Amino acid sequence: MTEKSVEARGISKMYKSLLGSSTTILDSISLDIESGEIFGLLGPNGSGKTTLISIFSTLIYPEAGSLFILGMNARRDKGEIRKVINISTAKPNFPWSLTVRENLRHYGMLYGLYGSHLSRTVDDQIEAFELGDFRDKRFEDLSTGIKQRLSLAKAMLNHPRLLFLDEPTTGLDPDISMKTRMLVKRIHEEENISVILSTHYMPEAEMLCDRIAFLRKGRIVAMDTPRNLKKHLCLGERVVISYQGQADTAAIEKLPGILGLKAQKGRVEISIDRSEESLDRIIKLFSGAKILDIDIKEPDLEDVFIELAR
Amino acid sequence: MNWRGELNKFLASAYKNWIISRRNIFTIFELFFWPMISLLSIGLLTRFLKMDDSIVSFLLVGAIALTILQVAQIDVAYVLLFDMWSKSIKNTFIAPIKSYHLVFGALLFGILRGSVVFIILVTVSRYLFGFDFLVGGLLPVLIFLAGIYAMAAVIGIAVCVSILTFGQKADVAAWSLSGLILLVSGIYYPIDVLPSILQTLAKAIPLTYFLEYYRSIFIPSPHHLIWGASLAAFYLIFGLIMLDRAIERARKTGILLRLSE
Repeated sequence: MTEKSVEARGISKMYKSLLGSSTTILDSISLDIESGEIFGLLGPNGSGKTTLISIFSTLIYPEAGSLFILGMNARRDKGEIRKVINISTAKPNFPWSLTVRENLRHYGMLYGLYGSHLSRTVDDQIEAFELGDFRDKRFEDLSTGIKQRLSLAKAMLNHPRLLFLDEPTTGLDPDISMKTRMLVKRIHEEENISVILSTHYMPEAEMLCDRIAFLRKGRIVAMDTPRNLKKHLCLGERVVISYQGQADTAAIEKLPGILGLKAQKGRVEISIDRSEESLDRIIKLFSGAKILDIDIKEPDLEDVFIELAR
Repeated sequence: MNWRGELNKFLASAYKNWIISRRNIFTIFELFFWPMISLLSIGLLTRFLKMDDSIVSFLLVGAIALTILQVAQIDVAYVLLFDMWSKSIKNTFIAPIKSYHLVFGALLFGILRGSVVFIILVTVSRYLFGFDFLVGGLLPVLIFLAGIYAMAAVIGIAVCVSILTFGQKADVAAWSLSGLILLVSGIYYPIDVLPSILQTLAKAIPLTYFLEYYRSIFIPSPHHLIWGASLAAFYLIFGLIMLDRAIERARKTGILLRLSE
């Protein structure tokens, strides 16, 4: 039997205020993450993604539930777990006046690296994450993208078996975001590690994740592969038709395979189930009009997000 | 984990504090300006009041002890303060380290800085005020410094516990606790002059006994060094246990995350 990266049962977390009132952040989360998977945690702001990642990485503890990380009990074996995991956080922060190299050296020392092995590991990470031109620059002088790369390099110092990435592309320019995603993909493939990634960027989850859990108000509302999520939520293809003249939009709605319809003057947006082969029948209902444009779009995770966040 | 890896976990904090201090121009103030102000103001006061040698030694021993204590304790507190100010505390506490790695690593650098300050103050007090601090020999000096550094570690730990318990605003403790020590542990006056409740508090502070011991070289009198050393060891162990508990509590309450935001 292969060892799971995460086995969580009934994980709950609440924060208490000074006045004694409490807010539930996570409510009875149960999930299994297989070894070698890239697992995505999706959800709107405040849904509990960062808290769940912080619990899985033993940074904070849950109020209730049982948790096994890489087959080890998260309460009892947290010291051992911390040796084989690492994290790259959203908005990476490091001691400001330390350079890239000094920061990596400092954190390498905290992981018990020493001597030539420490120097070699630091140099390897600088090379792997293309930080060579910045190695002697202080953290406070780095751009957001380079700070993120430093954060990823730091997260790989101990060659973790399980890597946590908390919103790794938040605040980055689109081109840097894409580079970071490619970097994450490369790390996963080359190092053969499990990755748990939180994000609220749908293309990121779609590009990287084998499976996704969607969180809302501290609960998992859906969990599956991106493909199955789209399928199970009945998010059909979206067909947008722009036209001039008269079209019987009421009749469209009655056709088999029509999942939804929004009609405006000269424009109709229809969700269809392709398996019903309804497109041909729809077009026939536009016989009295001049079709100006037809746009067909497959559902993406953006649609899943909108559907589930409702 | 072999011993070199374990050693490097200690040295990590010293390495970080060393680089940050080296790049901070205000380190000069911590190492030279304030220590000199403290020594010169007390030394000149003894001249103005035409105090005899025993009183001069009493006051200068106190001034030197307090200055070294302040320098070393802030270095121990810096181990969390630097992380808190740079919001990088998550990165430290996800690493497989224990509280004693952080405390003793930072204390090592505190001892280095404290020793630099000690050499400067001893040299200046000898040439400006004719006070030979080292007259008792090397061993009493080492015992005296060990007591101050143990006390510095305890205060530094107390600051870290405050930060982890009460959050960012508790960093004021870093500068306040040594003020309390100044008031009650007989830095500038014998503890006999304190109100009885404060005398009881003074007797619970190890520094009181280390000062008593070192002053007995200049003004022969009985001392309770063993009791002071035992108290210091007790506080150090107790402090480390409390720090571990504060870290665990910060993980439970989530304050560790809030300190990174």
